Amino acid sequence: MTMDRRTVLGLGGVATAGVVLAPGMTLIAAPPPDKTEASSDQRWAMLIDVNKCDSNCTACTKACRQENNVPLFGDPNRDIHWIRKLEIRDKEHRRPSVSLPVMCNHCENPPCAHVCPTQATFIRKDGIVLVDKHRCIGCRYCMLACPYKARSLVYHETSRNEDSNPEVPIRAKGVVEKCNFCVHLVDDGKQPACVQACRNEGKHAMIFGDLNDPQSEISVKIRTVKTQTIRADLGLKPHVHYEGL
Amino acid sequence: MLSNFTAIEGRSFGYWKLVTFFAVLILMGAGAFVAVEIHGHGITGMNNKIAWGVPHVFAISMLVMASGALNLGSMSTVFAVKQFKQFGRFSAFLAIALLIGGLAVLMLDLGRPDRLLLTMMHMNFTSMFTLNVFLYSGFIIICFLYLWSMFEYQQYTKVIGSAAFMWRVILTTGTGSIFGVLHAREVFHSALTAPTFVALSLSSGTAISIILLVTTFKHTKRRLDDIVVFGLRNALIFFTLLVAYLLVVEKFTKFYSPAFYDVQNWILTGPYSWLYLLGVWGAAILIPLGILFHPSRGNSVKGVLWASISAVIGTFALVAHILLAGQAYPLNMFPGYEVSSVFLDGVTATYTPTSVEYILGFGGIAVAGIIYLLGIKFFRMLPDKAVAPEGYELPWNP
Ligand code: SF4
Ligand code: SF4
Ligand code: SF4
Repeated sequence: MTMDRRTVLGLGGVATAGVVLAPGMTLIAAPPPDKTEASSDQRWAMLIDVNKCDSNCTACTKACRQENNVPLFGDPNRDIHWIRKLEIRDKEHRRPSVSLPVMCNHCENPPCAHVCPTQATFIRKDGIVLVDKHRCIGCRYCMLACPYKARSLVYHETSRNEDSNPEVPIRAKGVVEKCNFCVHLVDDGKQPACVQACRNEGKHAMIFGDLNDPQSEISVKIRTVKTQTIRADLGLKPHVHYEGL
Repeated sequence: MLSNFTAIEGRSFGYWKLVTFFAVLILMGAGAFVAVEIHGHGITGMNNKIAWGVPHVFAISMLVMASGALNLGSMSTVFAVKQFKQFGRFSAFLAIALLIGGLAVLMLDLGRPDRLLLTMMHMNFTSMFTLNVFLYSGFIIICFLYLWSMFEYQQYTKVIGSAAFMWRVILTTGTGSIFGVLHAREVFHSALTAPTFVALSLSSGTAISIILLVTTFKHTKRRLDDIVVFGLRNALIFFTLLVAYLLVVEKFTKFYSPAFYDVQNWILTGPYSWLYLLGVWGAAILIPLGILFHPSRGNSVKGVLWASISAVIGTFALVAHILLAGQAYPLNMFPGYEVSSVFLDGVTATYTPTSVEYILGFGGIAVAGIIYLLGIKFFRMLPDKAVAPEGYELPWNP
């Protein structure tokens, strides 16, 4: 049996209409929700003094996990770390090793947002790079694009328990998430959990603040001491600065 | 040389056995998809360092082959190679089948495939993914129009065929650029990654066409002249040399820069070196060339068939190498420093794919396979005999 021309054309027409109309959905779908209530008057950033950071202190990583309901699955390949402690040492071992926390750098030119097909990852006016977990399709392209390994896919179902922070949602299976500069705290005028924990520990290695405010502690420091960012050569303009690296 | 196009009978036991086999694979693939949906990507071998695994290898290899499958059509329409004109319909149809198979795997492997429509609603035009959504949908439309023109309006075939040719070059550039544009990934960040994908699509598309033509014609007892296959062989040789050339230029350039010594040495001697040496250089390049240049094997259809099979395996290997080795190589956050952390910074990632990933991948191949099988049964895709134009001689034989 061979289909006649009409059938061929009909089938093709339906297929064509499908592919043509699908992108056209943009025209009738609701416009993306306004991405941010934040204001470009602020430019949030962090400064970490590695001289004050102790190699066996993990106060910041614990605080982040607690504040943001970041789960551990007991599998180092899949455990989620929005912030982690790194030990770095020159390859010739001429100098002692240095310990420092690394998290999302809230890049000014974030490749994660550039590659995200759904704009689930976006940059707020105040410079915080966020993931809308309801819009993320879990394609993981951003994980390949981020040079700092700041992003993790949630590989398993997570659930609330008595230790969970009720103010913050639990992490959703199948989407990619990362440090959000504790946006819920910052919008409330508070400090990110890791910064607060570092302070509580008496280390004061982390400062968080507004670079657009010339009087802020972070602005003054960045003007007066030598700081640098990780892989500045990539041109992403990270907003986590390091002193003493 | 006027070809008469006829549908295959498709009534034999062998035909239905093959259709059933693909149908079962598709069902299994669907099962794998549902399992990942329910349990999350935790049941795959993927992890936070190898976030794209075996399903992506299948999907991207098929997308690359899809654009290459259009080759036979382009060669006849754009470059006026007469003896391939009879494969124009086959070529456009195979391209559509492979593209649908590849896209199916890509979409079903998403963490949240239920939200797929969001890519249509919140487009981000800086994303290679978004651009590829347009490139892929456009490709399907153009292939269909091309097919239509060949069936109905031959006066438009040249125009649409030329458009299809340009589109597929851009399309494969887009696929290669998914990787090439990522600055932080030293293994594949290169302006040559996209052209290498284009060359790979040409070689693999030709190879898969040879495999399908030879087997389909044999099993449907249609006549396929050796000289037609040898014409394809010559094209396959040229395209394979093109892939080799681009790979050599890339390595050559990188070895001139000490900054790349570490990563290049790792590619040649690290845990993925077997994939690079045996898969990329062996299966994709040296084995096919060795067979095709051989005075007796290169002049037998069987030899050409084996070379093509090796080229297709090599295509999967090359894509797998770019993807898996590319992600496994540790990100160089502090050049010149050793790095360690609980997040496995500074170490080569490990990845052991699980069966669900392979089942999903083979499901995609089965989708393409079943489309092909049903297509040649219900539409007049194939010439009832494939012969070369009268007096035609090949310019070169091994
Ligand atoms: S550090 Fe990575 S995840 Fe964070 S903004 Fe930069 S690219 Fe994106
Ligand atoms: S995984 Fe989510 S956030 Fe990342 S690129 Fe894909 S849609 Fe965007
Ligand atoms: S700023 Fe908040 S989310 Fe980011 S690392 Fe610190 S505690 Fe975690």
